[in-house]
Amino acid sequence: MKALVRTWLESIIKAVHIAKKDAKIYFFKWPNITFGLFLPAIIYLAFSVGRPAEISSTIPGLVAMAALFGAGAIQSVALPLERATGTFDRLLAAPVSLITIIIGKALAGFFFGMILSIAYSLIVIPLSGVALAYPLHFAFGVILSAFIFSVSGVCISAPFRDIPEAMPPATLLRVSMVFLGGVLIPVATMPNFLQLIAYLLPLTYAVDMLRQAMTGQITAQLFLVDTVALIVFSVFFFVTAILILERALH
Amino acid sequence: MKVAVKAQGLTKQYGDILAVNQVDLEVFEGEIFGLLGPNGAGKTTTIRLLTGQTKPTSGAAKVAGYDVVQETIKAKEHVGVVPEVSNLYEEMNAWDNLIFAAQLYSVLKKERDKRVKELLQLFGLYERRKDHVGNFSKGMKRRLTIAAALIHKPKILFLDEPTAGLDVQSSRMIRNLIKELNKNGVTVFLTTHYIEEADQLCQRVAIINQGKIVVVDNPEKLKATIEEQHIIEISFSPSENLEGKLRGLKYVSNVSRVGDKFRLYVEDASEVVSLLIDFGRENNLRIMSLSTLKPSLEDAFVKITGLSPEVMATEKEQLKREKSESVG
Repeated sequence: MKALVRTWLESIIKAVHIAKKDAKIYFFKWPNITFGLFLPAIIYLAFSVGRPAEISSTIPGLVAMAALFGAGAIQSVALPLERATGTFDRLLAAPVSLITIIIGKALAGFFFGMILSIAYSLIVIPLSGVALAYPLHFAFGVILSAFIFSVSGVCISAPFRDIPEAMPPATLLRVSMVFLGGVLIPVATMPNFLQLIAYLLPLTYAVDMLRQAMTGQITAQLFLVDTVALIVFSVFFFVTAILILERALH
Repeated sequence: MKVAVKAQGLTKQYGDILAVNQVDLEVFEGEIFGLLGPNGAGKTTTIRLLTGQTKPTSGAAKVAGYDVVQETIKAKEHVGVVPEVSNLYEEMNAWDNLIFAAQLYSVLKKERDKRVKELLQLFGLYERRKDHVGNFSKGMKRRLTIAAALIHKPKILFLDEPTAGLDVQSSRMIRNLIKELNKNGVTVFLTTHYIEEADQLCQRVAIINQGKIVVVDNPEKLKATIEEQHIIEISFSPSENLEGKLRGLKYVSNVSRVGDKFRLYVEDASEVVSLLIDFGRENNLRIMSLSTLKPSLEDAFVKITGLSPEVMATEKEQLKREKSESVG
């Protein structure tokens, strides 16, 4: 039992070292920070100019997009880049399990996405003059969103060995999520078949969760559904990423 | 002697391609063992299988007494791996690369800095420790990759083509380092398609071709297997493409071109020498040099694998070209 605990502890420490390394060389760079901060605003402005919308219901979408682009976009480049340059083999040759490697990679994106979303919230919410109804619930939503988008980024990039291959599907998925995930258009106003697709996207639940916390129109049941959905998506993407990489490597 | 690496029926199939086919081998503690073969023979896949980077389709392997499939993490703790292409983080400096390697191998925090400093000094990179690895030369990157593989003082070091693409000085330095490490008790398993390297470094070599181990023995014994064959090396002026004509001479079984010389594999050297003098006279060619050679490991390799001497010559020329490019 003692040995098992020690092994787990060592694995967690190694995952944190991998996360720190990834954060340093892939995530926390000025071009990525500005990309994560400006892109959601640009998308939002491009779509919403001339369309009146309640500011308190648009901020959650912006924050969720910051998590999506911050955690996911760079994540979907980092792994294929490591596989193309051979640095991923450095991790594979070390006494580190594939699960630990993926946790490490997911943690890097998670921290970056979370910090970016928090920064976004700290800028946008005071500027809008809207009060945040449930700050703790909102923070919980930010944490879950950053985690799911980071893990999904790892999963989407897992089958690819270089960046040009990985970018089109990752971009397509993220852009589809932005348009169908309730960020720009409320899900309830979409045609039925699009609503069905929307409920298959994690961004829909992230936006809904943040919106409930922001506006104060919180429903325990709906908040729980969003939480469970995001956890289920995270587990699904995590397990799928492991299976894809296992298959690709062996 | 204790076995450091053992493979039994190790096989790896990628779709229809059989990359490694029923490989059986034993590497003893404290030896330098070479896996010799042409490009695509299965050398890198064998290393990847033995170091737990990929799983075998069938068969088993033990490294430092640990099963590489069942006890992968334990096995990896005892080995260092140096890939053919240096896989360091180019965005990080030399110091941080080694610190990260130390973290992956659970080197204690209080020992990390000391060990990193020690290795950087040993490999002549301490003065460049703050420089990004992306700015390093190929030779420096290879040295740093070896240093990273040694961070946890492994019992066994796997090196995949350690000198491929390096200039002469760096190659020599790395060969000396390998010898030094071996003197200090590290078991070395290296792959190479550079036959002279295997001859110089390895106590035993395994020749691999098309995924199969053809023979395992020490280089001298392998050379002895073809001593009945004689080799004559000759150069003419003007230097023309004479392989076809030379192959037509009596007692000549094969001809290869090595630079401006022709290497003739013959049954009776003295008969062929007089035939060559006549050949030169008849074709208005001046003999610039003529010598008989002892069979080399390359000759043994050519005979054992059945590969044509031209293939090996091409590989050597390619290697020389790579070397001159990296010097340039």
